[in-house]
Amino acid sequence: MNRRNFLQALGLGTGASALSACGLDYNRYYTPIEQILPYVVKPENVTPGVPTFFATSITTGPHAHPVLARHRDGRVVHVGSNKHAPLVRACVPKAALLELQRHYSPDRYKGPMEGTAALGWNDGAVPKLTAAVQAAKSAGKQVVWLGQYRSGSMVELLKSVVDKVVMWEPNGYEAEATAAQMVFGTRFLPRYDLAGASYVLSFGANVLGGWGGTRLQSDFAIARNPNGDHVIARYAHVSPYRDQSAANADDWFAVTPGSEVLVARAVAKLVAQKTGFSGPAVAALGNIDTATAASAAGIDAAAIEAIAAQFASGNAVALPGGAIGAGRAATELAAATYLLNIVGGAMPTLFSGGGYRAPIANTKDIMDLVAAMNAGNVGVLLVDEANPVHALPYSGFAEAMGKVGTTVAFSSHPDETAELCKLKMPAADTFEDWGDEEPLLGFTLLRQPAMSPLNLIHRPLGEQEQVATKWDVVSAGEVLVRVGQALGTVTAKTWRDYLRERWGRMVFDADVLAPPRDRARREAEASGAPWPPVGPDGAPVVEPPPHQDARFGAWFNKQLANGFHKNDLAERPQVLNVTGNVQWAADVAPAGSGDMTAILVPHAHVGDGRYANTPWAQELPDPMSGIVWDTWAEIHPDTAAKLGVVDRDEVEIKSANGSVKTSVEITKSVRPDTVAIQLGQGHALASMRYANGIGVNAALLAKDVDAHGAMAWSGNKVTVTKTGGRTDVVHTFGGDSDEDRNFAVVVNAEQFAAKGDAPADHPGDLTGIHHLEIDKRLTDIGLTDFYPIPQHPTYRFGMTVDTDACNGCGACSIACYAENNLPVVGREKVRQGREMSWIRIDRFYKGDETHFVPMMCQHCGHAPCESVCPVWATYHSLDGLNAMVYNRCVGTRYCSNACPFSARKFNYHTYVWPEPFNMQLNPDVVTRTMGVMEKCSFCVQRIRSIKSAYKDAATETTNFNAVVPDAALARLPACAEACPSQALTFGNLEDPSSTVTRTRKSGRNYFPLEDLNVFSAVNYLAKASFHVAKAEAHHGGGHGGGDAHGATEGGHGAEKAHDGGHGGGHDEHGKADEHGSAGDHH
Amino acid sequence: MKDVYSTGEPNRPESYGAANRDIIRVLLKPSAAYFAMLFVAVSMMLFGVWCEYQQIRWGMGVANIKHPTMWGVYIVTFVFWVGIGHAGTLISAILYLVRSRWRTGVYRASEAMTVFAVMTALLFPVLHLGRMWQNYWFFPYPNQRQLWMNFKSPLMWDVFAISTYFTVSAIFFYVGLVPDIAIFRDHSKGLVKKVYGLLSLGWRGTHRQWHHYMAAYGFFAALAAPLVLSVHSVVSWDFAMANTAGWHSTIFPPYFVAGAIFSGCAMVITLLMPLTYAFNWHAYVNIWHFDALAKMCLLTSAILTYAYGMEYFIGWYSQNPYEQAIFFWRADPWADYGWAFYIMVFCNCVAPLPWYFQKLRTNPWALFIISIFINIGMWFERFNIIVSSLAHNFDPATWDYYWPSWIEWGILIGSTGWFFTWFLLFVKTFPAIAITEIKEMIPPPLKGSLEAK
Repeated sequence: MNRRNFLQALGLGTGASALSACGLDYNRYYTPIEQILPYVVKPENVTPGVPTFFATSITTGPHAHPVLARHRDGRVVHVGSNKHAPLVRACVPKAALLELQRHYSPDRYKGPMEGTAALGWNDGAVPKLTAAVQAAKSAGKQVVWLGQYRSGSMVELLKSVVDKVVMWEPNGYEAEATAAQMVFGTRFLPRYDLAGASYVLSFGANVLGGWGGTRLQSDFAIARNPNGDHVIARYAHVSPYRDQSAANADDWFAVTPGSEVLVARAVAKLVAQKTGFSGPAVAALGNIDTATAASAAGIDAAAIEAIAAQFASGNAVALPGGAIGAGRAATELAAATYLLNIVGGAMPTLFSGGGYRAPIANTKDIMDLVAAMNAGNVGVLLVDEANPVHALPYSGFAEAMGKVGTTVAFSSHPDETAELCKLKMPAADTFEDWGDEEPLLGFTLLRQPAMSPLNLIHRPLGEQEQVATKWDVVSAGEVLVRVGQALGTVTAKTWRDYLRERWGRMVFDADVLAPPRDRARREAEASGAPWPPVGPDGAPVVEPPPHQDARFGAWFNKQLANGFHKNDLAERPQVLNVTGNVQWAADVAPAGSGDMTAILVPHAHVGDGRYANTPWAQELPDPMSGIVWDTWAEIHPDTAAKLGVVDRDEVEIKSANGSVKTSVEITKSVRPDTVAIQLGQGHALASMRYANGIGVNAALLAKDVDAHGAMAWSGNKVTVTKTGGRTDVVHTFGGDSDEDRNFAVVVNAEQFAAKGDAPADHPGDLTGIHHLEIDKRLTDIGLTDFYPIPQHPTYRFGMTVDTDACNGCGACSIACYAENNLPVVGREKVRQGREMSWIRIDRFYKGDETHFVPMMCQHCGHAPCESVCPVWATYHSLDGLNAMVYNRCVGTRYCSNACPFSARKFNYHTYVWPEPFNMQLNPDVVTRTMGVMEKCSFCVQRIRSIKSAYKDAATETTNFNAVVPDAALARLPACAEACPSQALTFGNLEDPSSTVTRTRKSGRNYFPLEDLNVFSAVNYLAKASFHVAKAEAHHGGGHGGGDAHGATEGGHGAEKAHDGGHGGGHDEHGKADEHGSAGDHH
Repeated sequence: MKDVYSTGEPNRPESYGAANRDIIRVLLKPSAAYFAMLFVAVSMMLFGVWCEYQQIRWGMGVANIKHPTMWGVYIVTFVFWVGIGHAGTLISAILYLVRSRWRTGVYRASEAMTVFAVMTALLFPVLHLGRMWQNYWFFPYPNQRQLWMNFKSPLMWDVFAISTYFTVSAIFFYVGLVPDIAIFRDHSKGLVKKVYGLLSLGWRGTHRQWHHYMAAYGFFAALAAPLVLSVHSVVSWDFAMANTAGWHSTIFPPYFVAGAIFSGCAMVITLLMPLTYAFNWHAYVNIWHFDALAKMCLLTSAILTYAYGMEYFIGWYSQNPYEQAIFFWRADPWADYGWAFYIMVFCNCVAPLPWYFQKLRTNPWALFIISIFINIGMWFERFNIIVSSLAHNFDPATWDYYWPSWIEWGILIGSTGWFFTWFLLFVKTFPAIAITEIKEMIPPPLKGSLEAK
């Protein structure tokens, strides 16, 4: 072999091995084949790499919320807050983020089908549906729409196409709507405005867990914040079960199931006496006496009197039962709370008629529908995401569906009901469709497609051919318009035209055309000119329809860009008049036999089951128990002892209607005579790959509606027996107590209300945390720290976590999953401690309080993780970030061991996103492979982007070194943007006027593990409690935050024994105290 | 020959020739029992290799390390083997410098144990990495990306401390071997003779060679001696330098060094006891040696017991809530790792106590069994320190229970197989007893003696 041959062989060998290496391992290093091609014709407003935002609204009905869809390179990658929308605070509802993941679910129906055979839209599905509807109408049979709550144009369109609209959700608002009909004569939902409340009294509604929409969570946080008005809203919860919302309550009254209505009426009676209110509302309350109510509820009469006293002191609002209060008097409970609000003076400021007006059906209506179906009176059944087959197993809905001529699923995802439908016409979802919603009277949200239906070109693993998968979906509105055209009831050409026409008629006319027209009419009437005006030919001038007005296009586009429209109906107080009377049932106790009552609770994230197939909802730990991917039964410790069960034992819960076997979770959050079980799970459907086989369907236990037709979820007696088996339920929580390590800190609410977060002389002086004082000899020479504190020229990014505002909902965590491409690891991997969430919401029980403490990377100034990394994969950046270089990480995991907050997450495997979940990945954030550490980055991609934007915008004449202002930073990270309570605030600690700098001076400021001297960039604000004693006043300056003596011990409210004279002799006392803690050598 | 159960120095063989024959006898055709042991060792090693393949293929997730316990069996076993690797150099270098006579019989085998134990230990820092294929990033190699290591990190200190220790102990080991390999060369034929010839570096035993040799040996002994103390101090800083409660303690360096010598001496007993009987080395190694090793163990066990007690005293005295919590929790017999703590205390503090009685200190069975207890106890000491401190970290909401997966056990078993494979190959190919040093103890052959004939 000569030199030339050798080199040839070498070249060939190297090339061949390099090539084969590329194709080696598809599973681990699979990279989709991509073409980097420029746009031939660049779409307007789209710059590759720069996101476009589309105003839209997410989720339907009363929960509709204005948000922005963040669009990158042809697809929606995130949902952001709409800062301009009125009536709601800028935030991202958890459901909006779950809808985002649902949008990319691999299980979505890919196109219309008849049975399992694919159809076309124009030549198959739509003609078939039209024919079926026409046939049904001609045969005198009903065409029925069964769907989730929808409002606005869709309802109007439906009414012109189908014979009967049944909008129903299992844990919906049927009791509230029926009660409104009973008391006020109209079927609607009242509107609650919690922002101005100083007392919030819930009879079971999980107001901080999604009941009434995210708006109420935001409003409660405002009510809770004393800055400005010096009022902290006190929250009392009257319910047998303490869920995540109730865990935030200041007072929890664990009443017997069903007795909430008696308590509500008794309170209302007492309040009416105190306020001297008279009117039909008092009469409607009927006869109730406090002692009877108290004994039925199992609480003291004094407690009812205390509630009434609080309520009568003004600015109080009562909330109905929600899903948990849906006992055998669900509707009456709602009616009682309405009356309580009226007699308590909550109307019309806190409680008014300006709520949701769209149809809300009762569960009784579903039963009637089943009867009609069985009787063969239903010709066509259209199903839109409603799932009674799963949610109401006793209803016989599945069997009845077989007796309907044509069943059509508009649902975009498979579920038990949709799978039984003969014709599947998957509808475009909220990101692909036009639409509008009216969650409040006068407040309408407008939706436009934020992306075209997914069209995925990819190369399956190991295949050479590219495969195109198109999600061939069409808007439900579009289909209905076409059917309506065939029936002759709809004239609009398309669903979009229909929407525009209606907006022209309903909104544009009132907004733009009506004022000049009214003026002209008044002028005409004054001058005696004819009205309507006549043309030259003497005939009255016919105005074109409003949507054909020349100004309409621009006006409508503006509404689309905003995503909402508000008129003065939304601002005008809507006073309600009591017109009806209420028949109070004598027996409110749960029905059936058994010694316990089952409380059926919608799952905190999965809800009534609609997000069961959404991995984010399953993987996010339950706020109270930390359980993921499961169903469980919560049992009181006393009951558990009686049954002889421990955590994770299996029990059988049996009611007259059915039984389920599930895992025991022992908690003090239920009454001893109740067992709480999560709804929404227990799907057994292979086409729901993530929900399939997870948990049990607790709805099997329930049956029967109350006297007014609302579902009595919590009205069933059950027996609980130990099966002897064990379950493999998975939870993420460690200890329940913070072991007095200052993770969970309380301040006295009254003291906090008086001071607010105004800069205190001694930051943190309300918390009672004892700070050791730095030796005076060191402070004198300016040496307060052994190591130099890192210098930050312009920025040191930091965050403030308000643990009083945080209610534990978990929206931040899901927003983080979406923004930072966090993988979902699944049930088995969570069991092994492999969950990847960068934000962990620690739940601590301390004294009377439940604390939710979001923990993420604290971006320490003296980060223990940085110094131990052997390869500099993590380091402190100039703007104060604890930066992480994934490429450099070798995976020693030493940083995680060193991190006192356990904030770091390790990639144990390379996780894959099943297509098309990968289409949701944020292109600004790299996905990590196995073996590297990761953690919260404060959304560094957003920080870099906004810093660049401000630099780009600055010119030399303005300020070349433009610093991003506080307002632009405050909600910058995905978690802070999403938080409905604004518990998370981001900012620049180098800016003395920024919010994060100011909150550090607050009297309730604290740093978890401050004594480790890690100089963390995240400060926490303590939770306000009405149950702890006041912190002692500071005595004189000069202590530098040194001697905030613990006025409270462990939040239990026990005051430390301090002698009265110690204020005078503070020097000596302070010294003794500080040295006592430091080791006693002075 | 004196009774092997006596505690005095054994009777030496009568002649240099007898010494040569006794040691070379070991190299004869191995028995079936030897092959069986080698087969077991190699199988264990291969099982470990397969487990490690799984880990490289699927990621660290096949191990059970989990938040917040990010170090588990791998680092425990790493520290265990580094500790084992301390006795050899201690015996060969420090005892050489202080002219302790009893080292002669046991030092070669202990040195071999040291080198192989360090080789075993060195596996773990690599295979515990999330991306073990990037392990070269630990070394200061020139690169265009201007990447450099963080010399503040105790892991970096480890890299240098252990590689230095390995290099020096391997060279010291080899230097000691050279005259003995020459003897093997002189007693073998053919290819084997050539190999030993190469390895003996032309050793002829001239006066001049001996002169240089003794100077070099003394020099390496002096160089190795401080390393005995420094290596495990540096390893202890992996823990002591992190702020984790239960790790963050100034007592760690002496405590770890004492523990290392304790475990190392126990391991020498564990290894040499069967060899002495298998190869009938009673003329070279007898109870006198084991008695000395047992006394070393007793001293270091006492130091450890003191250190354990002192940890609790400081935990209480400092009033540091985190430190108190972790130590008191560790000692709670009903807590997650209480059993591990009491295994440690029993094996390290209680089990060696019988050795205070000379009768038990000179009983081969008592020596062997107690040394096994100590080996187990010292593994659990590291398990206690590493695992329980992490499992109950600062944030109570993250507390979790770690128990190794079978992959982790597999790699632990594999590492033991790797160690014993080397050790078994060594005893059959190299002199496991220092022939030349033994000869120093025999009266020089005079004219007319056996050797001269």
